[in-house]
Amino acid sequence: MSYNYIELISLVLLAIGCFFILSGSLGLIKLPDVFSRIHAAGLIDTLGSGFIVLALIIYSGFSLLSLKLLLIPLFLIFTSPVTGHAIALFAHESGYKPRGKNKK
Amino acid sequence: MAKLNKDSLKTLSFITYFIILFVFWFILSGYLKSLLLFFGLVSVLFVFWMSYRAKALEEDSLPLKIILRLPFYWIWLFKEIFKSGVTTTALIWNGKYSPQLISVKASQKNRTGIANYANAITLTPGTVTIEIDKKKFLVHALSKKLSEDLQTDDMNKVITDLDK
Repeated sequence: MSYNYIELISLVLLAIGCFFILSGSLGLIKLPDVFSRIHAAGLIDTLGSGFIVLALIIYSGFSLLSLKLLLIPLFLIFTSPVTGHAIALFAHESGYKPRGKNKK
Repeated sequence: MAKLNKDSLKTLSFITYFIILFVFWFILSGYLKSLLLFFGLVSVLFVFWMSYRAKALEEDSLPLKIILRLPFYWIWLFKEIFKSGVTTTALIWNGKYSPQLISVKASQKNRTGIANYANAITLTPGTVTIEIDKKKFLVHALSKKLSEDLQTDDMNKVITDLDK
């Protein structure tokens, strides 16, 4: 065996996380209005950062450091919905209507 | 859990909060020297006193009953996030989104439960809670499938059961 399994697993997880972040950024540009763009940002917040932190935990081995890394998604779980909801509520209150079908 | 009266429940929640704060301090610092542990204790007590003064330790804001079920709930939530995340990613890449507004009923009894449900909806990619009106949410969903998933009421039931 020439290469390390742990490195391989964390590499794959990093790639998955990067793919989700790429899709989220693409969605931020592509989707039609504020409300739909929040979904794309949420994708980056949850799945993108989640997979990357998971990969880092596996890569660095289990120690106090991995507990600290686990705190990052824990805080994101609490803060990311609040920001998303705040933006959506503000857009709604100032009279934005969500756009319907694929309009360019 | 045995039937407890209000005061002992309050004491129990104080103790739990104190333990959580101290564990949090330990994870962030990692020191084991007795002098530094003492300083940690002092800072934890200070934070405890501040949150007591800010009345952040009411029964509603620190629900003891759900604390043991929370890890299982998070695992379930991560599964949901992953499922709808894959759906949303596919929608972004193939461009077949059709955004729509729906209203969702919430059957949670206390404020913590309702906030929990609204957060869970927003946390799953593809659905965002816009407005909360007593027991009804206004939700923006990215496609028809995502909104139908939400209207099957599974998530509502799981979060209501958390607080039994």
